[in-house]
Amino acid sequence: MAYLELHGLEVSFDGFKAVNGLDLAVERGELRCLLGANGAGKSTTLDLICGRTQPTGGRILLDGQDITSAPEYRRARHGVGRKFQVPSVFRELTVRENLEVAHSRHPGPARTIRLFPGIRLDRRIAEVLEIVELADELDTRAAFLSHGQTQWLEIAMLLVQDSALILMDEPTAGMTIQETGKTSRIFQRLRGRHTLIVVEHDMGFVREIAETITVLHQGKRLSEGSIRQVEEDPKVREAYLGSGGISHA
Amino acid sequence: MDIFFGQLFTGLSIASILLLVALGLAIIYGAMGVINLAHGEFVMLGAYGTWFLQSQFGLPLIPCLLLVFFMVAAAGWVVESTVVRFLYHRPLDTILATWGIGIMLQQAVRLSAGAELRYVQTPEFLSGSIDIAGVGIPSYRLFILALTAALLALTWFVIQRTEFGMKLRAVTQNREMASCYGINSARIYSLTFAFGSGLAGLAGALVAPIKSVAPDMGTNFVVDAFMVVVVGGVGSLIGTVVSSGLLGSGTAGIAFLLNDTLAKALVFLAVVVLVRFRPQGLFVDQRRR
Amino acid sequence: MSKSTLSRSKPYAQLAAYLLFCAVILAVPSFVTDAFLLNKFARYLALGLAAAALALSWGYAGILNLGQGVSFGIGAYAIAMHLKLKTSPVHTGSAGLPDFMVWNNLDHLPWFWQPFHSSLFAVAAGILAPVVVALLLGSFMFRARIAGVYVAIITLAMLAVVNLLFIDQQAYTGGFNGITDLAWLEAGSVTFDPYSPAFYYLSAGALSLCLLLGLAFTRSKAGLILQAIRNDADRVRFFGYDVAAYQSLAFAVSAGMAGLAGMLYAMVLEFASPTFMGVPLSLSMVIWAAVGGRGSLLGAAIGAILVNFMQGSLSESFLDTWQLILGGMFILVVVFLPNGLSSLIGILADRLTRPARQTPDTALAALSEAPRAGRTPS
Repeated sequence: MAYLELHGLEVSFDGFKAVNGLDLAVERGELRCLLGANGAGKSTTLDLICGRTQPTGGRILLDGQDITSAPEYRRARHGVGRKFQVPSVFRELTVRENLEVAHSRHPGPARTIRLFPGIRLDRRIAEVLEIVELADELDTRAAFLSHGQTQWLEIAMLLVQDSALILMDEPTAGMTIQETGKTSRIFQRLRGRHTLIVVEHDMGFVREIAETITVLHQGKRLSEGSIRQVEEDPKVREAYLGSGGISHA
Repeated sequence: MDIFFGQLFTGLSIASILLLVALGLAIIYGAMGVINLAHGEFVMLGAYGTWFLQSQFGLPLIPCLLLVFFMVAAAGWVVESTVVRFLYHRPLDTILATWGIGIMLQQAVRLSAGAELRYVQTPEFLSGSIDIAGVGIPSYRLFILALTAALLALTWFVIQRTEFGMKLRAVTQNREMASCYGINSARIYSLTFAFGSGLAGLAGALVAPIKSVAPDMGTNFVVDAFMVVVVGGVGSLIGTVVSSGLLGSGTAGIAFLLNDTLAKALVFLAVVVLVRFRPQGLFVDQRRR
Repeated sequence: MSKSTLSRSKPYAQLAAYLLFCAVILAVPSFVTDAFLLNKFARYLALGLAAAALALSWGYAGILNLGQGVSFGIGAYAIAMHLKLKTSPVHTGSAGLPDFMVWNNLDHLPWFWQPFHSSLFAVAAGILAPVVVALLLGSFMFRARIAGVYVAIITLAMLAVVNLLFIDQQAYTGGFNGITDLAWLEAGSVTFDPYSPAFYYLSAGALSLCLLLGLAFTRSKAGLILQAIRNDADRVRFFGYDVAAYQSLAFAVSAGMAGLAGMLYAMVLEFASPTFMGVPLSLSMVIWAAVGGRGSLLGAAIGAILVNFMQGSLSESFLDTWQLILGGMFILVVVFLPNGLSSLIGILADRLTRPARQTPDTALAALSEAPRAGRTPS
């Protein structure tokens, strides 16, 4: 049994089936890329896994447990972490405070009411800050960070959260080539320790990090395999004919 | 049968006053998303305006109505362009600021007109009552009912059939886009706020003969009106009409079985439960996120 | 909001400010001996506590509670029931029945009045009953992800409901008049005459304790999570926090504090009345908290005390004009200084310590508030 399994997942918005009978299995420690044109259902799939959207049919199994109708916070406690397409951090809080919120080993009020975030940083937070190079901005409010820094902050929050399954929606959007390179190095480090599902348009980035790619088309799985297999798949060629193949999707 | 008709009419009468007061609020909240807690004070201003015109110049009620509409609309325009305008991005803060405006208006009236109760006369020809199906119904209540219907029709016409209404609907849907197409959205908002305020003033003028006129009379009106708008759903005129009917007949019905105070309490409780399950109101579809 | 940068980087300055304030209010009886003044000040402190309680739910968790009077009123009635039972009634029926019950033809004390013979029970009820009500209403709202404007509407409607019920149940609550002619609270050998220093110390002690506990709460991780929820409730969920539980918690803690404030208020005025649950008083509390600074318990308390102090020291004839000025002042604060007077300190401190960095623009901070939040949009 795979770590994450989607069985016949379905969701419709006012009759429009954004995800339509999707089956997907991701092994523990795998790095999976989701590809597909706009509207193929990539972000919606992530929404369904993390509980932001409720499916209208099908099942989601995480580590053998059915989480199909569990609320978001329970899924998060089961180990689902999410990075949003639009960087989503707490703008009124400082970088340090953002990371402290993300550090959620004991999320119940009974515990947190007795915890006092101190001046000194948790070792793990300090380590993460080194990686994302935000150590100098600890006491800056997130609202004052640049776009790139905000992206990094959210990635840092996910690292601190330390989820077993991390869902990334276009993590390199708006990043420079150097920043993208750094992101890919971080992903290499996460590989194996965490299970990652990444939605990404940047094919260079996908080539660098991907082992297995799943191509979505109209809310269904169209093809799956290594980059080469997917690119040579006639179904993919047919679906993306005229747009120059998957690389230009 | 008589009791039934009597009750039916009481319900209708309460509903018409609710609708009258809520109409202006529904437009302001529906179109602009502004929770205007000074709305009750605009009603109060309308009542005082009528009292003033009547006692100082001896004007009969009917011509007062028109004058009061424009007077209170002007007051609303001033409020919009000096305060509300700055708070469109902060809906919770508009609640606070408009409450502050309400306090100021109350005090201004208390200082200038005194804190004692004032009375407005019902016009001579409306002071009797008419016999319908064996029930004596005060003509003035019927007059309010008719005028509420007329105002509703007017509002519908303004919003659906005039150029102003079309621009207003455009601005409501997407302010930035409407502005790109050359609609002066700030001006539309000012006018809308003024129109809604004017309607509140009219409501005040109309209820003045049947309620006591006092500086703090607005507080009750604004809470009631809000419940109507919330139940009906934001931006739905039909919703506002039906919900004032529901709340009016509900209040009248429960009051008949129990008493006025409990009736109001139970109706509010029902509103709380309704908002919990349908915050968008009864008559607005929940749109996809 | 500018507060958070300040408080994070200077935690001791914040604690010092709270301690200084507590020391000042506790020192007042050493300088003021006039019994009427002490009574007045004790009243302001009770209202200060109510405003601080509001700041906890509104400023920290973003729950705009327009029905603070529900908790405040329940607290006031709880203690008033006890103190009423202790008066030697003027118009007694059998068994020392409260006067208004006699007028309403009751011939014995209702069962739910019985336990209020005990002062301990009354005090516990004055705090815990609002907490329970808040937990119920809180989970009713927050489980359904009701937020923003709709919370304001529901709490306002609940206020009206409770107010009307208390007016309606005349035989048990004294109706419009409320519960009047109260005795003084006694604890051991101390009698809390509302005009005595002892009562003032009770009020000042209660406010100090609540402020310090409140400070601890807001600076705990739970307090941080509440601020995060105010920022973006959806995002918080994806870190595994049960947002509704946290919101209910803040709502309930605030209600308990407000219940305590209501108790003090009823004792200081020697009556409890349905006006305590009226719309005007509850909205006034919001105003005081906003003027002082919704983002700081201390700021909100000081706002309430200042506004009431100024109001109390004006002559009757000037009072109406004052209310007019107050309304205007309030509008100015809401429009131009959304975080109240206490944020002035933060802004000034930011200017002084970091002249190069742009101070947080108030309008900008306001923009980040989600517009027209209903069911949390996504």
